[in-house]
Amino acid sequence: MRTLVLGLGNEYAGDDGAGILAVRALRDELAGRADVVESAASGLTLLDVFDGYDRAVVVDSIRTGRNPPGTIVELGLTEVGPVVAPSIHHAGIPELAAVAERLGLGFPGRTRVLAVEVAEPPTFGAPLSESVAAALDELGRRVLEQIEAWDTAKGEPCTTTTP
Amino acid sequence: MSEILIDPITRLEGHGRVHVFLDDAGEVDRAYLQIPELRGFEKFAQGRRAEDMPQITSRICGVCPMAHHMAATKALDDLFGVEPPPAAKKIRELLYSAFMVEDHALHFFFLGGPDFIVGPDAPKGERNILGVVNKVGLEAGKEVIGVRKQLRDLMAAVAGKAVHPVFGLPGGISRPLTAELQEQAQAAAARAVDFGGFALQAFRDVVLGNPDYVELVTSETYTHRTYSMGLVDADKQVNFYDGTLRVVDPEGREFLSFAGSDYLDHVAEHVEPWTYVKFCFLKDVGWHGFVDGADSGVFAVAPLARLNVTEGMPTPRAQEAYDELFATLGGKPVHHTLATHWARLVELQYAAERMAELAADPEILDPDVRTLPTATPEEGIGVVEAPRGTLFHHYRSDERGLITSANLIVATQNNAARIGMSIDKAARDLIHGAEVDEAVLNKVEMAFRAYDPCFGCATHTLPGHLPLLVEIHDPAGEVVRELRRD
Repeated sequence: MRTLVLGLGNEYAGDDGAGILAVRALRDELAGRADVVESAASGLTLLDVFDGYDRAVVVDSIRTGRNPPGTIVELGLTEVGPVVAPSIHHAGIPELAAVAERLGLGFPGRTRVLAVEVAEPPTFGAPLSESVAAALDELGRRVLEQIEAWDTAKGEPCTTTTP
Repeated sequence: MSEILIDPITRLEGHGRVHVFLDDAGEVDRAYLQIPELRGFEKFAQGRRAEDMPQITSRICGVCPMAHHMAATKALDDLFGVEPPPAAKKIRELLYSAFMVEDHALHFFFLGGPDFIVGPDAPKGERNILGVVNKVGLEAGKEVIGVRKQLRDLMAAVAGKAVHPVFGLPGGISRPLTAELQEQAQAAAARAVDFGGFALQAFRDVVLGNPDYVELVTSETYTHRTYSMGLVDADKQVNFYDGTLRVVDPEGREFLSFAGSDYLDHVAEHVEPWTYVKFCFLKDVGWHGFVDGADSGVFAVAPLARLNVTEGMPTPRAQEAYDELFATLGGKPVHHTLATHWARLVELQYAAERMAELAADPEILDPDVRTLPTATPEEGIGVVEAPRGTLFHHYRSDERGLITSANLIVATQNNAARIGMSIDKAARDLIHGAEVDEAVLNKVEMAFRAYDPCFGCATHTLPGHLPLLVEIHDPAGEVVRELRRD
């Protein structure tokens, strides 16, 4: 099953870069099992990124204001709505999925969002906050756990698009 | 005094809020948009290598990275005092035109589309991207996505697909165009030109065919008579990539013409205590408040302003569309904010035709695409027309090319005063008392959605599904009612 691990954010803007940094650290470990993609884009532009995958883990920052910074929030596609206060970059992913389905475009049948709660609005040049930096390892581990869970679920291991 | 707060809650601090203050009689006393600033950029840029600015600034915005990349690249040309070879300029403009087509297509059909294609009074469940697809049809929806994909594939092939692609360099670009890529560009351009015709026809059918929409577009609620600014070529015709800045007055007469490098002589920033946003105005006129007219330095940028500025369109199909727009809306200039949507499609048509011209130009295959800089860097200014209006990048560096100061004026800043006026006027005309319904709020939103403001050039939601929080406060400041639209 072709698998995407997508990190969203801006690595130059403090905690906003959490998703990018988390997936970058997984590149070696996921080689051959998932395509690791980093993107600063948002909205419909991401349609092209999802096309061609069966499964996707989206790694992002999120600002719900309901958890302490550094908390990892896990969401399925249907839970990612205004009700849960979407993350900074993936807002629109449910719309992307709906549009892809309506227009017959490729979109991963299974999408999980793993996001770390951040406190501040993005500031250029700021370092990661302590609490978010401390959560990055856990965030990476959760991504790997998700990949492993998919691997063992139906005996269809995760792969890249270019095996 | 009561306050109605329209807050795109999903983005919290990252995005704008509309505040509407009611007086004791329940009428609108004042309404304005708050946009957070892009924090820390100038400090962040200091000490970095100037050559890295096109890569760094293209990450500022998830929506228009190409505009920042190109403005930064042009600022580097100026900083290092180097003139790119003709082929390099043409390839840059080719790519930039492709970007303009895809961005304008995205906005019209999917971001602004719900307002007109689905309709301002349609149930909220339909006023989204799927509603647009249902209205224009599956095939048309696929074509919007398909054209964009073809253009994006071309951009990736020309500019590089890597995580951190390097395309624009001081004095040129990183690699010449191959014959194969030229063919790919010609095919994409041909499809884009046809798509431009399709999009304009869709506008005629859906909007112009509906007298209610035409009345809405031309209503006083959505009209502001301001100056307009945009880049023009030597023939005083619109160009997105390069040229001279031209300003026309509210009557459409040329008021100013200046090089981008002189922008500080003509554009100044007004500060208000209630927002970080600096409101750009024309120095030559001065700041006289959020008011219309020739005595107010407030000006507009973006598609409609550019059409008011240009002396006709440089390409034939776009010229026809331009003539039709002004003939229909009562002659030039047009000050109806909502006509920006139509102007966007005229520009889409032009960008597609311009792309086709450049793709067919034999010189574009010239392998000479870089002039190596030899001068000592000091100061550089780059200007482009971003989809949302004029974009300035201004850098200073030390003799090693390390940035000592960086200033960006993004389109939304240039438009900020007029956007504020549009919201204020729409709110005054449409809101009477705290019992505000969904359709009214949407019509207030339409006043600023036409500009497609990029809040803080940070990130972007999909408007048309812009979740809003409305808080209505009684004169004591207590929340008496909360209205939420997801």
